[in-house]
Amino acid sequence: MTFSGTLRLTDLNDFITPSQACIKPVEQVDKGPDISESGGASTEIRIDSSGSYYEVSGPSTSGTNNTTAPERKLEQAQINLNDCLACSGCITSAESVLITLQSHTEVLSFLQSNTDQNSASYKVPILSIAPQSLSSLATSLSTLSASQRVITPRQILRRVQTFATQVLGFTHVFDTTFARHLALQEHVIEFQERREEDRRGDQQRQSLPMLASACPGWICYAEKAHPEMIPFIAKTKSPQQVMGTLAKNWIGQRLGKLPHEVYHVSVMPCYDKKLEASRQDFYNEVYSTRDVDCVITTGELELLMQEKNWDLSRPVAGELDLHIGTRPAQKVSGDITLPELVQHPGTSSGSYLQSIVSHLKETSTKPLTVSVKTIRNADFEEYILREEGPDGRVGEGEIVFKGAKCYGFRNLQNVVRKVGRERGVRVGTGAAGRLAGKAAVRRSAKKNAVEGDERLYDYVEVMACPGGCVNGGGQLRPPRDNVTVGNQAGATVTGGDRDEEGYQRSWEESGVMDVVGTEGGGMLNPKWGDREWTKKVEEMYWQDVDGSSEPTCRTSSWTSASRPQAMITTTTRSRAFPGQPNGVDGVSGADRRSLTEGLQRSLLEDADSLVTRVLDEVALGGAMEPGTKDSASLRRQLFRTQYRAVESDTVGIAIQW
Amino acid sequence: MAVQLPYQLEQIAELTGHEDRVWNVAWNPVKRILASCSADKSVRLYTYPHTLPPSKESDGRAAFSLLNTIQTGHTRTVRSVGWSPSGTSLATASFDGGIGIWEQEPPEDDEMDVDEVTLRERIRPDDWECMSTLEGHESECKSAAYSPSGNLLATCGRDKTVWIWEGYPDSDFAVQSVLMEHSQDVKCVAWHPVEEILASASYDDTIKLYYDDPDDEWYCFQTLTGHGSTVWSTAWSPTKSYLASSSDDKTVRVWKRVEQFKWECVLVLGGHTRSIYSVSWGPGKPSEKEGNLGWIASCDGDGNILVWELEEPTEGGATSPPKHRIIAQMESAHGVCDVNSISWNTKPGYEDILATGGDDCMLRVWRVV
Repeated sequence: MTFSGTLRLTDLNDFITPSQACIKPVEQVDKGPDISESGGASTEIRIDSSGSYYEVSGPSTSGTNNTTAPERKLEQAQINLNDCLACSGCITSAESVLITLQSHTEVLSFLQSNTDQNSASYKVPILSIAPQSLSSLATSLSTLSASQRVITPRQILRRVQTFATQVLGFTHVFDTTFARHLALQEHVIEFQERREEDRRGDQQRQSLPMLASACPGWICYAEKAHPEMIPFIAKTKSPQQVMGTLAKNWIGQRLGKLPHEVYHVSVMPCYDKKLEASRQDFYNEVYSTRDVDCVITTGELELLMQEKNWDLSRPVAGELDLHIGTRPAQKVSGDITLPELVQHPGTSSGSYLQSIVSHLKETSTKPLTVSVKTIRNADFEEYILREEGPDGRVGEGEIVFKGAKCYGFRNLQNVVRKVGRERGVRVGTGAAGRLAGKAAVRRSAKKNAVEGDERLYDYVEVMACPGGCVNGGGQLRPPRDNVTVGNQAGATVTGGDRDEEGYQRSWEESGVMDVVGTEGGGMLNPKWGDREWTKKVEEMYWQDVDGSSEPTCRTSSWTSASRPQAMITTTTRSRAFPGQPNGVDGVSGADRRSLTEGLQRSLLEDADSLVTRVLDEVALGGAMEPGTKDSASLRRQLFRTQYRAVESDTVGIAIQW
Repeated sequence: MAVQLPYQLEQIAELTGHEDRVWNVAWNPVKRILASCSADKSVRLYTYPHTLPPSKESDGRAAFSLLNTIQTGHTRTVRSVGWSPSGTSLATASFDGGIGIWEQEPPEDDEMDVDEVTLRERIRPDDWECMSTLEGHESECKSAAYSPSGNLLATCGRDKTVWIWEGYPDSDFAVQSVLMEHSQDVKCVAWHPVEEILASASYDDTIKLYYDDPDDEWYCFQTLTGHGSTVWSTAWSPTKSYLASSSDDKTVRVWKRVEQFKWECVLVLGGHTRSIYSVSWGPGKPSEKEGNLGWIASCDGDGNILVWELEEPTEGGATSPPKHRIIAQMESAHGVCDVNSISWNTKPGYEDILATGGDDCMLRVWRVV
């Protein structure tokens, strides 16, 4: 199979583009008087076998005195991740630095040096993989499969577990859904706290709307370009970082290991997760270790398997078994196993909004109904929770909650503008504050008068990628023969097939190709191929909900209604299993569904009781700060983080054209 | 001059006041107002009488009078100004990364009894107030342009992006698209005079054309290549089927619509000696002659202004070049300084009037005689 494993930074078409070269100054340390030869300025740089650089005097001009020519080891200029995070000059340029620091080769070289379990420096290698990555791999494999069979994310997880343990030497392989379960719980708790603050009328706290915190692209952008949004962003950690906390603290503790004796790798649909993992907050200074040591993307995992000649299309024993059973990779220690593939109804980007909506419905004393309004497209939708109206009429009662999901850079801009305006915070770092004179004030006053007490947002699920995390920048791209791009002529592409960063770029594959212009054909959207592909990955993401690990015809599966619509209609029933009747599972569908329904219910129960156990054990293990008494503050310590505005260095540079 | 040209450019006004280089000039399409912006962070608005002085004897300065100075509050250079088609809104694009939207208070009710045209064209001395600011560009904004309907505003800048904003009542805006097609600094955006087709010109030597597809997503349907260096400026022909572009390669290229979504280069105009910073395409003298394509004016870093007259080709295929000739020329239009911007007045009756802005902090108004 030919997934393209090559890097596709430039395909992040919806996100921030690199804007300039790295500006980090190289520090010069005075090493005493220079050894200067009169008239002999010529030196050479030599590289030894370990890759170190040496400056050696060149062929001497002062005679035969070659033997004493001193070698001087040169300092390497180093740019670490924090330099990149602190520099507002670039975002995706930072990613290109990360490629060498957090890559699949880095994982391989670590594992190769970590084979001796009795060594003092041995670290327990743990791999955790995001459900969106599993969907991406499953979709690619199903598309390429000659047998017309759908290979489910569950099967992929089992195969990846086998690969990672048998070939790579990981001792544990988990999916991140249990960590997400924890993150969602904490997210809901934080939302309640903020709602309470807001109810008390504490305007200074800027409690609502709460904005989702799981997308590192959004966080990075907000810290850099919209610091006024920071107070609104949830402090709850993302599932990746919750998993990091679990791996380094709880799992490590159960295995009798200290945090730095665990090596934790995560597989993510997103390049920016690498940036997230390297944030200072997720660095344990006592043990000099990060909660996530290395992040690789779905594409990089695929590359890893290719390099190890692992055929992901080959089934492994027991891969269709819905129960975890005795699979050692999912086991933490003793009798403890992490719940596997816990489904959280809602969106394929983590169901943050839905978890809050569900919570409000469950805890409300009056029955609530949800209505959904599409603002612009499926990437920007509003969810309104209402009480019943007089005489129990639906949709006429008081609004108790207004939330939105908002994906993609464009929609994100509008949410930032809307929230800034509604909550009266200055939008942007530039001219807005100074320029908005009395006209703007008058306008907003007028607006308020007209719209009266229009409900403001309580919560927004913000994601930087259009389509959300299933369409993350680190996901596999559609196989070439599956891309519907008409034009093969290179006539409209300039500058060769390299982009401005010097990366090889396949214009056809990434769908950037001009389709209409040169052919004069119909109005085919150049992104069409990608959009269709994202839809497939989205449907695959929910595949296991349907319980259809039964062999099914892929076309029937994929031509069924797309997920977003299905989700909207699930406001009343089947909270736990949105949009399940896809009609894909044929004969045994109903039986199967009740089976998986039961399984999911028990999974959620398992997850809940495990959460309690985790907290108890961590508390006993003393991983908490002194003075942390109750479980709420323990949770806060474990599962929350913070953000800070990044000062812009570049605005002052005067370049006039 | 070696060749006797049919027309000359006569300077009819010389407007001082900016304290730093003038970057852009723009004629209000409805009201008798000329706007300019400058590195001094201000916008100046000048008005002119119904009848402009007939000859060079008159004092140009008296004909144009300063109406308003907008101290914009932008912290850096105001790079360009763009009028809405109604002439009531002005957008400023600044190197501070922000876009400002400027309007006057609506007229009092007691003025409503005058006829609509008078009202529309009425020039009032009220202050122009900042109605809205659009933030989003990461770095310097280079250009802002309203769509022919006035509902959309396109902006572009050094962050390589083109943004399309949708206007709502009360100068409220929402982002409709962020287009990241160019690989370098985007210098200029220009809307087709009738259709919602947008052109952007860039430091990456290309021009890109965008259209809003039925799925409500803007996308680039064609990339025009051919210029050998930065494309500074683009201008659509009043007759709607042509596009002109000016470049650092010292040429103006003329692109013709050959299919609904396909433009081709049909003409390369030489004659400039330095980078051509700005191009404008006006209707030219009202003419009974069939196939009149109007006048293209361009200005360069050597201070030259060139005016071409274009006519539809009478023979050849769809891609045969229009007939063209230089009809007027002016050297050292702003002394030794760069001429940064050139613009035809498009109001009926003023088609032979040109404005330029230069590094000498001046605006100059010219007539083709």
